[in-house]
Amino acid sequence: MTMRAWSFLSASLLASLMLFALAASSQVPFSQWGDLLAPPAELTLDKIILAYSLFPRAAVALVAGAALGLSGALLQQFLRNPLADPSTLGISAGAQLAIVAATLYVPEIVDGHRTLVALAGAAGAAAIVFALGWRRAFEPVTMVVCGLLVGVTAAALSAAMTLARGEYLMSLVTWNGGSLSQQDWSVFQSLGLELVLLGLFAGLLIRPMLVLGLGDTSARSLGVNLGGIRFAIAAIATALAGFVASAVGLVSFVGLAAPAFVRACGARRPAAIVALSPLAGALFLWLCDSIVQTVARASSENFPTGAVTALVGGPLLLWLLPKVRSMEVPHEARESVHRGNLKIAFAAFLVLVPVLVAIAFVVGPSGHGWKILSWAETLDLAPLRWPRLLASAAAGGLLAVTGAILQRMTGNAMASPEVVGVSGGAGLGFAAALTFAPDGGTVVVFTGAGLGALIAMLAVLVFASRRHLPPEKLLLAGVAVGSFSSAVLSALLAIGDQRSWQILSWLGGSASTATPATAIFLGILSLLVVAAALLLSRWLTILPFGPSIALSLGLSVRLSRVLLLLLSGAATGAASLLVGPLSFVGLVAPHIVLRAGLVTAPQHLAGSFLLGSILMALADFGARTATFPYELPLGLFAALVGAPYLIWLLGRHR
Amino acid sequence: MGPFVSRRELLLGAALLLAAPMARAGAPLRIATIDWAMLETLCALGLTPVAATELIQFRSDAVEPDLPADVVDLGLRGSPNFELLHLLRPDLILISPFYVRHEAALGRIAPLFSLPFYVRGEPPFEKALAAVKALGERLGRSDRAEALLKEIVGEIEGFRQTLAPFANRSTYIVNIGDARHVRVFGFDSMFGDMLARLGLPNAWTDRSRFTFAAPVSIENLAADPDARIVIVSEVPVEARSGLRNSIIWNSLEPVRKGRVIQLANVNPYGGVTAGLRFARLFAEAMLAGDRRG
Repeated sequence: MTMRAWSFLSASLLASLMLFALAASSQVPFSQWGDLLAPPAELTLDKIILAYSLFPRAAVALVAGAALGLSGALLQQFLRNPLADPSTLGISAGAQLAIVAATLYVPEIVDGHRTLVALAGAAGAAAIVFALGWRRAFEPVTMVVCGLLVGVTAAALSAAMTLARGEYLMSLVTWNGGSLSQQDWSVFQSLGLELVLLGLFAGLLIRPMLVLGLGDTSARSLGVNLGGIRFAIAAIATALAGFVASAVGLVSFVGLAAPAFVRACGARRPAAIVALSPLAGALFLWLCDSIVQTVARASSENFPTGAVTALVGGPLLLWLLPKVRSMEVPHEARESVHRGNLKIAFAAFLVLVPVLVAIAFVVGPSGHGWKILSWAETLDLAPLRWPRLLASAAAGGLLAVTGAILQRMTGNAMASPEVVGVSGGAGLGFAAALTFAPDGGTVVVFTGAGLGALIAMLAVLVFASRRHLPPEKLLLAGVAVGSFSSAVLSALLAIGDQRSWQILSWLGGSASTATPATAIFLGILSLLVVAAALLLSRWLTILPFGPSIALSLGLSVRLSRVLLLLLSGAATGAASLLVGPLSFVGLVAPHIVLRAGLVTAPQHLAGSFLLGSILMALADFGARTATFPYELPLGLFAALVGAPYLIWLLGRHR
Repeated sequence: MGPFVSRRELLLGAALLLAAPMARAGAPLRIATIDWAMLETLCALGLTPVAATELIQFRSDAVEPDLPADVVDLGLRGSPNFELLHLLRPDLILISPFYVRHEAALGRIAPLFSLPFYVRGEPPFEKALAAVKALGERLGRSDRAEALLKEIVGEIEGFRQTLAPFANRSTYIVNIGDARHVRVFGFDSMFGDMLARLGLPNAWTDRSRFTFAAPVSIENLAADPDARIVIVSEVPVEARSGLRNSIIWNSLEPVRKGRVIQLANVNPYGGVTAGLRFARLFAEAMLAGDRRG
């Protein structure tokens, strides 16, 4: 650790201490602090609040931050993956899903057994992600994409469950926001005990972990039980995340930021990183929470601390990234794909499309379930159905083409609009449009989302071009932008006025909001984008071979990347306005198409477009029929269409 | 995710679809409501909608008015089912400015009538009363609306007199979110406004905290130790033991002295019916627990 690192840490400690002292002394003057040890019955309320709310809150912030920092550090060391942390690996989201489901269906269990529920959820999510990662030798980017996949699916499921019950549960939202407010010392006691125990275990594992750092073969030759150690570390990290999730809710980014900070400050040895990360995490969370409390007192706006850590953590991470020592991230080897039969592929499309259109138009509710509508009924409903069919198909096509472009451009099979944070940027633009032009209507909101997506793209681009766009950094920058966006949206939800409603319904994303005008707009835009992408397909043929080959073929790598990114930004912005921030269509469709044998750039782009349209149209059909008349989020259904395929794909042996 | 619509509801829906083209001249207006406050206002005027949103939740949260079983559920307020709405062939759709996003789509199905109820920083009961008048005029029921308004004023006056002995103490009105957080209702909430009309001081002097994600921490209720605390709507099951054991909650002066009153569910975003329901439940609870003062 350098001097600068220590000065950072001490400055943040000092700032937190000052803010805390300010708050605490305005509650009870320092001179009377001696009374605090008396039993609560003898204290005045001011003193009780200091002793049982302010002090435990600071203590819980420290303990929770330390636990998250430790969890992140362990995961990063064990997976040799700088992107790993409980939130990027989906562990926190698994805990969240378990708590949401239990709150909705078996609330008696949550009352008293919250920790067990959260732990079960965390363990479940971790088991899925690790099982998938295992089969690909814990390759870092795959792991994080698996994690994001599991995380987003879990978040979508919990949102859908909440919405489908017609409930906007306050406690769930509070919990999602990660609130640190305390009523007594019980949370601190249990979390502290858990941290100490698991910390001791982790301490015992530091030596074997050093061995692990030598690589599998040398470790084995030294007689280390790799499987056992890996399991133990994973279990400790998961348990830490589950405990924190059950105690204070979702606090994202601390587990990612703390080890990154420690490493950026010059710590190299695994033991040092694991030992210092809890310290950095604790101080980081405490500082964030002190700021949140100060703002709450000054402006009477309460923001969830969990959202604020992501708000601070996102940019902090982007700033720290150039300093992060790049770990070995093997580039995704392009899978050898047998050249498939184009005729069969296109015949399948030709059959599927009319069938799908027919289903979308002629199936309707009957008294007992679903029936084929008569011609008159079909005509009657057609004006309501064609806009949403066209709009969702266009949005699916746009996302899929963007996915294909990004995957080819970065040479990374896991790139997609969702993963690189463009959707997050669209969300930010959407929120900004609602804030600054509340009466602007659809056009303004469209523009806002498009601009937001573009700005996010540019942020990622500027960052990545400085670093020559290595795929793993692109993804990390995307993760940062994405969580920054969701933090802003959570903070806006916290303010809770009319915007909250609109943001909530946007997060849900329903095609029912499509009007004929927006549908035609999206349709035309999607054709334009696909045409532009086809025009640029020479670049997309060359770019996957790497910059040197591209340069030798006379291609300006920089210009082509900028243009392609601009195209992707516009496409994603428009699409995510309808679909919301999540859907795996942009990730999945290009994969399926590639595996079906459409390998050249034009085939890949056109095939992705068609398949994306089909998937999203199917998703819309599911979203409006599954729980009729309660409509489910379109993005959720798209995720449910895409996630199983991706899990299968990731789980396969190479 | 359980069944969302019972078979009976679907059958009714289908029956309505078939009947729709026949229901014509002379028949009463077929009205659909998207907004809950509008739904209450409509019912208060003695009319029943053909369809309304989120009825499962409405029946458990708002309780009053009791809706007939044949009112069709249109799904979520945030994303109402346009197709079902279209099939029901409404003559009029009632919304509020919260549904601006859907205005265009709804407007294509039937004429809209939108009235504001909740504006940040403005007391809503006056708006709810104005809504009774405006909706009455729109539906040709001005007489009924006038009578209703008189009735409401009379009822509130009655509750005000009942509650006059309790006006020496200020009142916190809260919803329990979880064991650490509450929503507090200020002057710009339905309950806060109603409290003021009943002549009782509100202990929460800031604007309302019925926000979405960040309800206030419980210790914020410590500012006025002489107040009483009124909990509106059931405490969530998952918060009960946490609240019982909470040191801060138990040290709040009103909790120590037993000045906590629990009311049944009332819709915090309702219209006149919700306002009156709150007033009635509150008055009944105060009279029942007179000694709590």
